[in-house]
Amino acid sequence: MTRYAELQAASNFSFLQGASHPHELVTGAAALGLEAIGICDRNSLAGAVRAWRQMRDLEDQGVIVRALTGCRLDFADGTPSLLVYPSDREAYGRLTRLLTLGQRRAEKGGCELRWRDYLDHAEGQLVLVVPPERLDAGFEADLARIARELPDVWLAAARRYGPRDLDRLSRLAALAQASGAPLTAVNDVLYHGPERRPLQDVLTCIREGCTIHEAGLRLAANAERHLKSPAEMARLFARFPGAVERGAEIAGRIDFDLGQLRYEYPDEPVPPGKTAIQHLRDLTWAGAEWRYPNGVPEKVRGLVAHELDLIEKLDFPNYFLTVHDIVHWAREQKILCQGRGSAANSCVCFCLGITAVDPTKPDQDLLFSRFISEKRGEPPDIDVDFEHERREEVMQYVYRRYGRERAAIVATVIHYRPRMAIRQVGKALGLTEDITAALAGTVWGSYGDGVPDEHIRQCGLDPTAPEIRRATALAQELLGFPRHLSQHVGGYVLTKRRLDETVPIGNAAMAERTFIEWDKDDIDALGLMKVDVLALGMLSALRKSFALLPPIAGRRVVDIADLPQEDPEVYEMLCHADSVGVFQVESRAQMSMLPRLKPRKFYDLVIEVAIVRPGPIQGDMVHPYLKRRDGIEPVTYPKPGPDFPQDEMKSILGKTLGVPLFQEQAMRVAIVGAEFSDDDADGLRRSMATFRNLGTVGEYGVKFVEGMVRRGYDRDFAERCFKQIEGFGSYGFPESHAISFALLVYASAWVKKHHPDAFCVGLLNSQPMGFYQPAQLVRDAREHGVEVRPPDVMFSDWDCTLEEKDDPRERLRPVRLGLRQIKGLKQADGEALVKAREMGARSVEDFARRGRLSRRSLELLAEADAFRSLGLSRREALWAVKGLAGEWDAERNAPLLLRQNLKETQVPLPFMTASQGVAEDYRTTSLSLKAHPMDFFREDLARMGAVPCAALKTARDRRRLSVGGLVLVRQRPGTAKGVVFLTLEDETGIANLVVWRDAFEANRRLVMGASFLVVHGQVQKEGEVIHVVAERFTDLSHRLSELREDEAPVAAHNRVTGRLIRSRDFH
Amino acid sequence: MSPEAARLGLRVGQKATDAAALVPELATADAEPEADAAALTELVHWCVRFSPAVAADPPDGLFLDISGVAHLWGGEAELMADLRVRLLANGLLFRLTIADTPGAAWALAHHGRDGTIAPPNGQAALLKPLPPAALRLDPDAAAQIERLGLRRLEQLMDIPRAPLGRRFGAATLMRLDQALGRMPEALAFRRPPTPYVARLAFFEPISAPEDMARVTEDVVAKLCARLEAEGRGARRFEIAFHRVDGKAPSLAVGLSLAGREARRIARLFQPKLETVDPGFGVESVTIAAYAVEAVSGRQGRIAGGDAAAAEEGLAALVDRLANRLGPTRVWRAVPVESHVPERSVRAEPPLGGSKEEARTWNPEAPRPVRLFRRPEPLEQVMALTPDDPPRQFRWRGRTHQVRRAEGPERIGEEWWRRGIEEVSVVHVRDYYRVEDQDGARFWVFRAGLYGDPAAPPKWWLHGLFG
Repeated sequence: MTRYAELQAASNFSFLQGASHPHELVTGAAALGLEAIGICDRNSLAGAVRAWRQMRDLEDQGVIVRALTGCRLDFADGTPSLLVYPSDREAYGRLTRLLTLGQRRAEKGGCELRWRDYLDHAEGQLVLVVPPERLDAGFEADLARIARELPDVWLAAARRYGPRDLDRLSRLAALAQASGAPLTAVNDVLYHGPERRPLQDVLTCIREGCTIHEAGLRLAANAERHLKSPAEMARLFARFPGAVERGAEIAGRIDFDLGQLRYEYPDEPVPPGKTAIQHLRDLTWAGAEWRYPNGVPEKVRGLVAHELDLIEKLDFPNYFLTVHDIVHWAREQKILCQGRGSAANSCVCFCLGITAVDPTKPDQDLLFSRFISEKRGEPPDIDVDFEHERREEVMQYVYRRYGRERAAIVATVIHYRPRMAIRQVGKALGLTEDITAALAGTVWGSYGDGVPDEHIRQCGLDPTAPEIRRATALAQELLGFPRHLSQHVGGYVLTKRRLDETVPIGNAAMAERTFIEWDKDDIDALGLMKVDVLALGMLSALRKSFALLPPIAGRRVVDIADLPQEDPEVYEMLCHADSVGVFQVESRAQMSMLPRLKPRKFYDLVIEVAIVRPGPIQGDMVHPYLKRRDGIEPVTYPKPGPDFPQDEMKSILGKTLGVPLFQEQAMRVAIVGAEFSDDDADGLRRSMATFRNLGTVGEYGVKFVEGMVRRGYDRDFAERCFKQIEGFGSYGFPESHAISFALLVYASAWVKKHHPDAFCVGLLNSQPMGFYQPAQLVRDAREHGVEVRPPDVMFSDWDCTLEEKDDPRERLRPVRLGLRQIKGLKQADGEALVKAREMGARSVEDFARRGRLSRRSLELLAEADAFRSLGLSRREALWAVKGLAGEWDAERNAPLLLRQNLKETQVPLPFMTASQGVAEDYRTTSLSLKAHPMDFFREDLARMGAVPCAALKTARDRRRLSVGGLVLVRQRPGTAKGVVFLTLEDETGIANLVVWRDAFEANRRLVMGASFLVVHGQVQKEGEVIHVVAERFTDLSHRLSELREDEAPVAAHNRVTGRLIRSRDFH
Repeated sequence: MSPEAARLGLRVGQKATDAAALVPELATADAEPEADAAALTELVHWCVRFSPAVAADPPDGLFLDISGVAHLWGGEAELMADLRVRLLANGLLFRLTIADTPGAAWALAHHGRDGTIAPPNGQAALLKPLPPAALRLDPDAAAQIERLGLRRLEQLMDIPRAPLGRRFGAATLMRLDQALGRMPEALAFRRPPTPYVARLAFFEPISAPEDMARVTEDVVAKLCARLEAEGRGARRFEIAFHRVDGKAPSLAVGLSLAGREARRIARLFQPKLETVDPGFGVESVTIAAYAVEAVSGRQGRIAGGDAAAAEEGLAALVDRLANRLGPTRVWRAVPVESHVPERSVRAEPPLGGSKEEARTWNPEAPRPVRLFRRPEPLEQVMALTPDDPPRQFRWRGRTHQVRRAEGPERIGEEWWRRGIEEVSVVHVRDYYRVEDQDGARFWVFRAGLYGDPAAPPKWWLHGLFG
């Protein structure tokens, strides 16, 4: 049989050219019996690891095909394109350096290479020259030169079923003969199978920015650029003996495999004269003394010693030292941070200050050794969250510490999501903007799969129309295709040797930022060292709150660990779902879980954080857990057949009452209960984590369920377990992360409970973050007895502040809203204003002159009613600011007119009504301290039979009633099968609505679009959790404009009024 | 927005899809601002029946100056009623108001009640309750004025002018004054297009063929002189011969390039003159030019044989052929970007192809000189599977032995022209250039691939080389 290796294949990482995933190409090559496949994307190795991973996966299944690592180099100086295959590790390093050079030179996403650059990196590369469309004398000369200057050169020739194939091939054969670059058959593959041609054409249209009808000859004439079998290639190249086999011969000379990229950790943080492990031991024991000033408990001693031994054995000390170094630096800069991840919940990390989770707390028996030893070869995983506003400083530190040659951010592959896919495919197919927008609008969020027919029908289109079918089918195919690479939010890869000899590094869109071509899965697969430097808004908020706290027991609060632990009042507050602003548990779903779960100790918070997740919900684990917790259902552990240890499940599931809730537990169940090997379990985890291999998840499912049944487990239990694992796939939530998050839940709840004033300021000054908008945070603070004062030029800083108490007996200090609450005001202008005030500015003119504020800023301040303390109403202030204009323009342009004081007649402006004031407050600051908009509609609402939201607390279960209010939040979680959750707000509180699928489908536009609704429905109570199941809706959005009316009517033809508030929609 | 549409809940600025969701049977069409502007211009011209002074107020309004003309209808109300009836008859939606000043009329039309007729010097009272936007202000300024609580024009009128002007600019004061008639406003009234016509009248009716030819030349020359003076040319000319009995037979000629060369144009009329029956004599001729456009300079007179001059020369021939054979019989084959052969060519007017999109044929893809409109079936085709060229075939009853062949060139279907479910990778054509024993060259293709016994491929002849 003919041997054949395809050496010219482009994957979809040749963006908008290749129309198959790397794994599809590798699998396809294996199926056709190819010896090897070389994926050569354009000036990029972005898809290389994916192909390699697929090769390894196939190998596990006994299928052997080589995925060669290579690259197609396109040159900027007219040199013909080359397919380059490094023959060994050193040549590979030269190739990545070459690509780095080209990419660093170009804009983000580009690569600029010249022939001279290549010559500097040519050693050890095997090269195929790609002939251009037109074989002219220029190419002839280029080929001769390349073949003369390089040792290993071949000429790639493809048979494309074009008009003059044989003519062209004969010429190429002659050129090959003359130049000494032997003719090598390739098929210049763009997709694994011919059925991908339509998608490839669509990609061409997207690339060219044209429609399929205009694309013309820019499209390929046929579907021949797919993988072909060795026999077919032999037939096509029958006239050119040897050409087909040559590819396999070249592949045989390649002695490089990505597996050779061994991880080597940087050894910077070790002082001279010490070994890494010595240094780590010293730091850890010193940290233990610091954490336990009254003596290190025996338990901790034992754990630390054990962990250190293990770290030494697995050769990870450098990893821990590196993370410690970063965290230590951040701490010195007073940047709040916290680690999480499997290795983070160790005694060592607690002692090193990487986390604040005390490992001696009950139920916290995470065996650190298990997480490291299980994942053979994979480095430990620690993510560190930093204050979101100061993370950049940490990132700059990492660059300084390791240098740009050895530290870079990993990539995130931006995939086509449903909306974008449908939009671009629609455009390429020539659908009008309206129609594509409508189609895209029917997709909820980013995880919808496809576009259901009834949604298409509802937006007024015919789902059976051929052009709609075509668009949806092709968009479906495009889903999951990489669109471009972007920098990961904070994942750093660090290496010992030059990083650019391991992976190409390119420019990011941000200046002075670089990132590598591989994403974190690639890094994991290759076992390179990665540290995640992430941003977390809550840490910013906590630090800002901490700064306002009085000392506790004589000690200033600077770290989470400084807060009193296990405060029952904090748990009591959370049990009542009083959690607006609290980390993680503030969402509506979490709020309705809190009173049911009734957290009373730290580990309950860990469960609380993890349980309201797609995994447990899809796995139907939530209710069993709650029932057991409440003692309604006995706690039992499924048992295997009599031949197996009877308490194996109890040891895994004991602390969650026999119900698997965490990712780690699900994996343990697979390993213990279904006898998965470590490899299997790892494969299962990986197969679910990415878009690829959707088929193999099913295979693992069968293996899992059958494995458990074979050991005598109940099939129903096995299936539920697996369902949950599937749920984890895309939203995996491991216990190790939940523990770190739970600590932040506790810390933020503690501050909220004891210092709602500082809590409010911390949150407002860290916006945007969290689930609620400033209006709700302010409202919550006021409900907790905090006085909140409006932004004012005489009192406000840029940030919100705490003012002195009027009455020293008061427990809480008043919150002064900052100028940051004023929409559109620039920070620089806000700060200039504060400075002007400090210099004595006391009037509009003063602020204009001394603050040198722009006219726009002064108008914004006036419209936001911020001159009130100067005795100017909003209108008077705006009038004054407008009147000022001439004066200070003159000052800027002609200083001589500076003192010219214009006296003008007083102009009486009409008073603003209360409702106008509120409407203006909302328009300018998104909240009003004066009244709630619903106050003005209460009579109307009462007439319509609507009760205030607060009345829900006392309403009987199952009662039918109406409530009305502003739509605050719309949510349609993927786990809730078409159910929409709405939150309404009125002057008395909020109402949580559930809109079942039928009611939603019947009122889709209204539910999606209204900003002021009256909802008629039925009250549902479960303990403290109250919902209204919506049945009918009345849209009152248009009436919001009445707030702006005053007594004398204005002729109202053609009036347009803006929205009062913008709801937050989560899809 | 028609009242019917408003009743259905539709509104201006709504998304088309939202509207369609509301009214599923709604028919939608894209906005055409140019066409709207053209229609407005037409309406402006049409309004001349009411007053010679009409000014467009784009995008959707117009001003009629009816000073001194209303009495012709018996008064302003009667004029408005007549205008209303006529506009309704044309199916237009509109709001009509009459006031002393354009500004007041605009304000009332846009923000007041339809049909308002402000009594002389009475506009101020009617303007009072209207919002600041009625002054034709920049929307941001209007919104800010409202935010000051000045939501009705009466409030603006009461405010001292200096502070107001200082804050919102002289333009605001000017608009207020224009509305109230304190300041004149110059409207840009329409200028009627001078029709391109010429006329010759005779003392004695003429009927002799040579006279007809001469007057044709004269009247053409007269019109062409004007076109040349204005730097214009026309693509279509129509002559009417007004006979003593009141009838007026006419002739028309078209040009492929806009022109004004009197002799050439007259020559195009010449062969058709004999079809004109002068009856008892023609007492006058009129000529009108249509599709008038700017034509720069006098082409063809500049030294040097540039392309434009060559085309000018060719134009005369093309015009004579087209005017004799009929306009559709003379055309030019233009390449179209498509891989499918029958779609890769299109008939276009012989001259005047736009220069900027110089499309060319792909020299790498040989195509026959003669491409059959419909491919013709081949019989008794012998070819090696899967895709060798045919060894022999029978066409129009004759068997051809293939001596030389090149191919296949594979061309896939244009999959976007059929349902996505029907697209298949076997919908291909394999084209071959073949030469038979006599040296005749053919372009044949096989539709489909061998291998499916249910749908065996078919062979066709699609064209002939040389």
